[in-house]
Amino acid sequence: MPNMITASHLTLAYQNEKGYNEVIKNASFAIRKGEFIFITGPSGSGKSTLLKSLYGEMKPIHGTLHINGADMTNISSGRLQKLRTELGIIFQNYRLINEWTIAKNIVLPLIIAGYNQEIQNAQANRLLRHIKLSELADRYPLELSGGEQQRVGLARAISKNPVIILADEPTGNLDKNSSNVIWDLLESACLQFGSTIIVVTHKIPELFSLPYRHFIIEGKGIYETH
Amino acid sequence: MKHTKNHLMFILSLISILLGVEFFMVFDRTTDSYEDGLKKGYSILVVSEVPRSTEQFHTLNSHITQSEAIDREAIVTQYINDISKEAKTKLIGNLPYFYSLHLDSYIDASVIQKIKTDLLKDIEIRKVETFGEHYLAKYRLFMLVKFMLRIFILFLSVVSFFLIIKQMEIWKYAHKDRMQIMELFGATMTHRSGVLFRIALIDAVLSMIIVSTVFAYTKYVWAMQSNIDIVTQHYEKLFRVSDIAVLLLSAFVLVITSVYWVVYSTKGVQE
Repeated sequence: MPNMITASHLTLAYQNEKGYNEVIKNASFAIRKGEFIFITGPSGSGKSTLLKSLYGEMKPIHGTLHINGADMTNISSGRLQKLRTELGIIFQNYRLINEWTIAKNIVLPLIIAGYNQEIQNAQANRLLRHIKLSELADRYPLELSGGEQQRVGLARAISKNPVIILADEPTGNLDKNSSNVIWDLLESACLQFGSTIIVVTHKIPELFSLPYRHFIIEGKGIYETH
Repeated sequence: MKHTKNHLMFILSLISILLGVEFFMVFDRTTDSYEDGLKKGYSILVVSEVPRSTEQFHTLNSHITQSEAIDREAIVTQYINDISKEAKTKLIGNLPYFYSLHLDSYIDASVIQKIKTDLLKDIEIRKVETFGEHYLAKYRLFMLVKFMLRIFILFLSVVSFFLIIKQMEIWKYAHKDRMQIMELFGATMTHRSGVLFRIALIDAVLSMIIVSTVFAYTKYVWAMQSNIDIVTQHYEKLFRVSDIAVLLLSAFVLVITSVYWVVYSTKGVQE
C-alpha cells in the first residue's frame, strides 16, 4: 500500500511573544492507505495540534509533512482547499452548522463539490439510514442529543467517500453507549470506503475489532507502540 | 424575529448613508444653481481708454469669460437732457469706454482683488470697480451655509458607517461558525460568503428603493403641494433618475466591502 501521510523530522510550534513554543519536535512517521490509526497521549501533549497540521490549519516550522501528495510545508491556499475536499473531519464538539437541517449538514461536502440536489438528497437519505437518524432529517443540530450530533458529524465526514478521515476526540463528550455507536460507524467506514482513519483519543475502545496502529505522543515526540 | 431584526438594523444603517449621499447630490445641485445665479448677477465695472474685446480681457485674467460694452450714449442721455446733438456727439467722443465683466465662477474675494490688480496693470484701463464689500458679504454667507451642510452630511455618514461596522460585527459572529466549518471542508471564499452576499445585496437594493421612493415622493408630491417658492422653483433638482444608479452603486460598494471584511476577519479556524 502506498503512503498516504509521511512526516519527516516534523516540528510543530505555536508562535508567542518570546518566539516558538514547540509542541511536537523532530517526529517522523508514515501512514499507509486504508490504515486505522489511534493517537493517544496526555492532555496538552499535542494530539490536536498534530491533527490540525494534517488538515492544514497549522504549518510545520521544521521538517516535512506530505498528505495525499500535498506538501503541507509549502501548500498554496488553492491546493489546501482541494486537499480538504478529500478529507473528512470529525470534531469533539461536533461543529455542525446550527442554522442548517441535519440532512443538509450531512451533505455539506457534496454541496461544496457542486453535486446536484438529487444526488445530495439520495446521499443524505442513505447516510441518515446508516446512522439511524432518518426520522430526524429535518431537525436542527441543537434539537439533537450529543450522541446524535456526533453521528451526524460522522455522516458528514464520510459523505463524499474521503481518502482520509481525521477524528479529534470523537467520543470525548459522549456516554458509553453513544461512544460504542460512533466506534462501530468508524469501523464500518474503514471497511466500506477503505479510507485512512486517524483518531485522536484519550483511550482506545476495548471492543475495537479492526487491526490498527497506535501512536503515543509524549515529551514532544511521537512513538509507535507494538 | 432575530433574522428580521438583523436585516432591519443593516437596512437602517444603509438607508442613513444613502440618505447622506442623496442629500449631498440634491444639495450640490441646488447650490450649483444658486452659485450660477450669483455668478450671473455679479459683474465688475471697467473704464477703459480704448475699446476692448472679451479675448483681450481674458488675456489679462483667465477668470473673465464675458464682457459687455455699456452704451455710452445711454449714459449721456440718462444724466444730461438739455444738450444739443452736436455737443452730445462731442461729449460721447470724449468719454472713455465702459464694460461690464462676467466671471467663470463664484470665486473668493481675494481672487476678485487679484483680477482688479491684473486689470489695472494695463495702463489704458483707468478704473475698475469690483463692488467688493457687497460681494464679500454674499460670498461668505454662501460658503458658510455650504460648509455647514457638508459637515452635517459628513457627520450623518460617519455615524451611519459606524452603525454598519457594528452590524457587521454581529454578522461576523452570526456567520463565523458556518464559514469556518465550510472552510474546513474546502469551500472557496465565494462559496463560504455566498449567503452573506445574497443577504447584503438584497438589503442594498431594498435600501436604494426606500431612499429613492422617499425622494421621488418629496419631488412629485410634497414639493408640488408645499407652496414654498424656493422648493417649487427647484423641485426638479430634488430627485433625478440618474440618482438611482448612484445610490445603487454606493449601496453595492458598501455592502461588498462590508461582506469582504466579515469573510476575511473570520478566516482561519478557532476552537
